[in-house]
Amino acid sequence: MRKTRAFASITVLAVSAAVLAACGSSGDNNGGSVSSPSASGASGSKPAKDPVTLTFVISNTEDTTPFTKLFEAYEEKTGNKVELQALPGGDYDNLIKTRFSTGDFPDLFLMQPGTKQYVKLRADETLHEWSNEAGVWDNVIDSIKQAQVEADKIYGVPYGSTGMMGVFYNKDVFSKAGVNPPANYADLIEIAKKIKAAGVTPFYEGVKDAWPPQVFYYTGWVTQVDPAIGDEGVAKLNSNELKLSDIAELKDLFAKQKELKELGLYQDNVMSGTYDELQNEFGEGKVAMTFMLDGVVSQLEKKFGKDFVSNSVGFFPFPSATDTGTAMITPPNQLMVPEKAKHAAEAIELVKFMLEPESVDLFYANKPGIPIFKGATSELYPLQEDVKKYIDEGKSKVNIQNRLTPSFVDFSKTLQNFFLDGNIDKAIKEFSDNYQKDGKAKVLPGF
Amino acid sequence: MERRKYPIYFSFPALSVFLLFFIAPTLIGVYYSFTDWNVNADSIRFIGLDNYKALFGEPRLGKALSNTLIFAAAVTLLQNAVGLGLALLMNEAIRMRNLYRTVFFMPYVIAPIVIGYVFRAIYHPEHGIVNEALGWIGLGSLGQDWLNDPKWALFSIIVTDIWRVAGFAMVVYLAGLQFIPKDLTESASIDGAGYWRRFRHIVFPLLAASFTVNVLLSVIGSMKVFEMVMVLTDGGPGYTTEVFYTYIRSTFSLGQMGYSTAINLMLFVLVTVVGVPVLMALKKREVEM
Repeated sequence: MRKTRAFASITVLAVSAAVLAACGSSGDNNGGSVSSPSASGASGSKPAKDPVTLTFVISNTEDTTPFTKLFEAYEEKTGNKVELQALPGGDYDNLIKTRFSTGDFPDLFLMQPGTKQYVKLRADETLHEWSNEAGVWDNVIDSIKQAQVEADKIYGVPYGSTGMMGVFYNKDVFSKAGVNPPANYADLIEIAKKIKAAGVTPFYEGVKDAWPPQVFYYTGWVTQVDPAIGDEGVAKLNSNELKLSDIAELKDLFAKQKELKELGLYQDNVMSGTYDELQNEFGEGKVAMTFMLDGVVSQLEKKFGKDFVSNSVGFFPFPSATDTGTAMITPPNQLMVPEKAKHAAEAIELVKFMLEPESVDLFYANKPGIPIFKGATSELYPLQEDVKKYIDEGKSKVNIQNRLTPSFVDFSKTLQNFFLDGNIDKAIKEFSDNYQKDGKAKVLPGF
Repeated sequence: MERRKYPIYFSFPALSVFLLFFIAPTLIGVYYSFTDWNVNADSIRFIGLDNYKALFGEPRLGKALSNTLIFAAAVTLLQNAVGLGLALLMNEAIRMRNLYRTVFFMPYVIAPIVIGYVFRAIYHPEHGIVNEALGWIGLGSLGQDWLNDPKWALFSIIVTDIWRVAGFAMVVYLAGLQFIPKDLTESASIDGAGYWRRFRHIVFPLLAASFTVNVLLSVIGSMKVFEMVMVLTDGGPGYTTEVFYTYIRSTFSLGQMGYSTAINLMLFVLVTVVGVPVLMALKKREVEM
């Protein structure tokens, strides 16, 4: 009897532990609410008459340091505090949409770039419109501003740096294998074969993490799809007058990725490749190249130091059949203020504060990148300088994802299947169908 | 003596909560499954059976259906086999059995998400314990990419889930075993019945009630599997381990609420179609025994 009672007690304890564990995990799902030092620490400077605490929501995949520094300066100037809430990046869109639908508006939040976010958030009903706001657009580079305009309205203020996607390569591996960045696509394959012969994995693909293989297509798009379909073609995709599956150059990208796999130019166990392992293998010189986005630069810096990134990491665009190709750039994220936010007026003032030249310089000092503001300076890595040259020469194009309103839904799943079965027709049909489904789900004209 | 009855209105608070938070949302859900409710649309329109027609033309659903059924069948069978085996073992007078009981039950109280993350590391093709252990005993050639090879991914999820839930089945069976009078098994022993005959003709029939509870909970629970698949493979690679709830999640993410509700309702019907006959058969068996 006593034993039974003891067993029952243990069971009750265990169940209690489960409840606690569940609470813990749900807490994680909601994302940690992190107060910036400015929010928690006492400020010694002059406070405003009625200081308020603003909420700023950001994805936890973003580096919060530059924002924390800005908010410290903001508090010093106005007395207002900013509480920084970092939500899980994987579910960021859904969490923001949920907060909108329940009326739990943040005062200010950072969203991915592009006008497609307007549709997602029903911007015309929910967000502050910035096009005529004084003190906002004076220093923003015009092409960056134009990427935010839809029907003469702007619901997000771009903030950050121009990013890029393309081929990042390990310069040390290249020099050991005696190869240089390619002059065209055929050259790229030859280089990869030489690197393989030298005993190093030419390309790494994080298929397990699902999103990395997409980068191949986005970088390839600006080099070989854009020249073929032009801006008119992109407009037709937006209105569903052109199907993705009807673009031969896009289909060719699937064929090219399949070729890389069939030539054995990816790492072993390509299906279990992860972004994290990519960084390690690349930094250790076991992998020569990767089709990747610029987020990898800060990760490599964290793991292998600034010197490694400065001296050993290079960048080139997806090469075309005839030349070195077009650099794919991504606009920065955008700051948005909900109309119904509790402190909307203060949030607008905060955005204006963040756009002041001193604030911009403070931001770039903490997060270097290719600036989007006139007159702003930032320390750049050589690889970023290379991209800037492409931009200055007019050989760059904004990511196709930022130019289309519907999204490439489940593209990562399509590509995982494609890596398994290698069926090009099936993959491009699924890619095309899912794009149309998303257009329909977003109730866009023409879908 | 006439048995005193409680007045019916005593049940009203519980009934009203049940009506408000279960019956009403379910009925509203049934209605929404016949609409084009979409977070991006201004209005919600009744569209009849359109969602269901679209659903049956969706190849992903077929995969989700077959994977869910395979998962449910495998987990139900193996959870009960392992749970019963453990219960029989833990019912014997072995040393430190209370400790063992707790250890076997512990996985059930750990959040599935945590278990998923732990097993992701265990199944890693290069650094995971499974392949490392196979290497140590000279069977390195049997090592697999457990979660990324379509041949093994669902199997690996099933094994992980059985590890998680077998302890729960053990506890239920253990409770049943403790109610079996010792006289019966002892007299059978005296009559010359061996362990297997005692189990087959005395123990197992008298465990009928525990068996019903366990099988039913396994069937329903395993058909609603989500977290384990989500964390271990997210339905991948590709759609190879897609189950109902991972598919529902992706349609909800698209904002297609009406369509998602229709899939949910289909799962409800499926659980009912599978669960009710199982319950009836097991109840009938209980009476017969």
